[in-house]
Amino acid sequence: MYYPEPISKLIDSFMKLPGIGPKTATRLAFHVINMKEDTVLEFAKALVNAKRDLTYCSDCGHITDRDPCYICGDKSRDQSIICVVQDPKDVIAMEKMKEYQGLYHVLHGSISPMEGIGPEDINIPSLLKRLQDETVQELILATNPNIEGEATAMYISRLVKPSGIKVTRIAHGLPVGGDLEYADEVTLSKALEGRREI
Amino acid sequence: MYIKKLNIKHFRNYNELSITFDNKVNVIIGENAQGKTNMMEAIYVLAMAKSHRTANDKELIHWDEDYAKIEGWLEKRNNTLPLELVITKKGKKAKLNHLEQSKLSQYIGNMNVVMFAPEDLNLVKGSPTVRRRFIDMEIGQVSPVYLHNVSLYNKVLHQRNQYLKILQRKQQTDLNLLDIYTEQLIDLAVKIVTKRFEFLHLLQDWAKSIHSSISRGLEELEIRYKSSIEVSDGDDLSKMINEYKEKYERVKEREIERGVTLFGPHRDDLLFFVNSRDVQAFGSQGQQRTTALSVKLAEIELIKSEIGEYPILLLDDVLSELDDYRQSHLLSTIQGKVQTFVTTTSIDGIHHDTLKNANIYRVSKGQLENPSESNE
Repeated sequence: MYYPEPISKLIDSFMKLPGIGPKTATRLAFHVINMKEDTVLEFAKALVNAKRDLTYCSDCGHITDRDPCYICGDKSRDQSIICVVQDPKDVIAMEKMKEYQGLYHVLHGSISPMEGIGPEDINIPSLLKRLQDETVQELILATNPNIEGEATAMYISRLVKPSGIKVTRIAHGLPVGGDLEYADEVTLSKALEGRREI
Repeated sequence: MYIKKLNIKHFRNYNELSITFDNKVNVIIGENAQGKTNMMEAIYVLAMAKSHRTANDKELIHWDEDYAKIEGWLEKRNNTLPLELVITKKGKKAKLNHLEQSKLSQYIGNMNVVMFAPEDLNLVKGSPTVRRRFIDMEIGQVSPVYLHNVSLYNKVLHQRNQYLKILQRKQQTDLNLLDIYTEQLIDLAVKIVTKRFEFLHLLQDWAKSIHSSISRGLEELEIRYKSSIEVSDGDDLSKMINEYKEKYERVKEREIERGVTLFGPHRDDLLFFVNSRDVQAFGSQGQQRTTALSVKLAEIELIKSEIGEYPILLLDDVLSELDDYRQSHLLSTIQGKVQTFVTTTSIDGIHHDTLKNANIYRVSKGQLENPSESNE
């Protein structure tokens, strides 16, 4: 390599991050060298702490620094509704909405035999355990609207339905605030399928 | 519609070429390996943004260049529409009326072509895969939603087959998930099969009358869709869904034993009958050829009825394979209506009437010349 070893190691490390290729990694590495030592130390500490101090909530599987997480621990929230999502990032997206007052359950993936992921490899067993408690009245399935997400939602609904808990699936179709003309054919046909009377 | 002018740069064995065509039969003559099929391919790629010969776009670029560029001026509904396609090693860029299109799907479909190449004779005698590919490509030209459903179907099929293998090895015993994949599969299968039925119905109408006139009224062509379930015209969706459900339920154990999905649109086929006899099994070479030709000509009419204008016809090395009678029939079908490109190694195999109104081009080592123009 043309770079001294500390730099090339730093470049290699940056390249481990998603969306970062060799060019961006090199730019970031050289930027770090020009940063103040304090800032760099803080940065390094933040990286390590994020890894060390964060765990998954033992109730819902969301990332948290305390167990149970701030959502599960908040007794003012509606304990009778659970929204099932694939990813911790989905929880954040839902929370930004500030409309939903219920609890979450994070699956950490979706069922996909092609990738060797079965129902027991994602957080489905822990979800079923949570549902044995009588307080839960409704389960909202908010997995992604693709083949795997859909299959996962259908699977959960099959397991849960017999227990009498209400199971719902979020709608899909046109984004709000967008123009109809910019929607692609497939989204439009989905939106047409899911039309309702007003 | 027809192409008025074509500019080709760094495409296959063409380095740089600019040529004008008119709205009739254009015959391209040349020895082997001079660039006849490459010329046809260039026109095809300009329309479809992909090749009929290869899935690897890099092959289209001249061997020591970085990009290939095809520009065409398409005359359509009395307007000229400039098209441009640039193929680089990283990807493709398509411009419509000088505006770059962010999605290729917005670009494809503006120029319609029908290609008839020697391998199309396989449509009748080849494997079912050839016929399924044909039907998917043709419907895809007019329905992007259909293409999307086919690709979703294939994804579900993969997942289902994988899960069947897991069940086969007894690593899992939960049949719930299999039922879910079955349900997803049926949902898409019904949509695909309905669309195929619709399409074949239209195709059959055209092909039947064309075939009858090519065979001087002696042969009656019928196209049937061979489906894994009993379906007939006018069946409603819920009836088809139930048929599929019952059948999948019946073969469930066998599917687990074999570890694979045993039926569905991915196993369906097209059957061609002439005078109620299966052409693939009992037809002569000539009948198979006529059938393939009828289907291709029907496609031209079908596109015309869908978009209101005739597509461009590309005949790659097939004219000499047809006898005089079939050639003149082909000619009378397209005469004055369809811009046609024909390639051949020699003029001998081509019927006189075909040549009478044709423009002749000679291709040699990646250069195309119009001798009639240079003589003037």
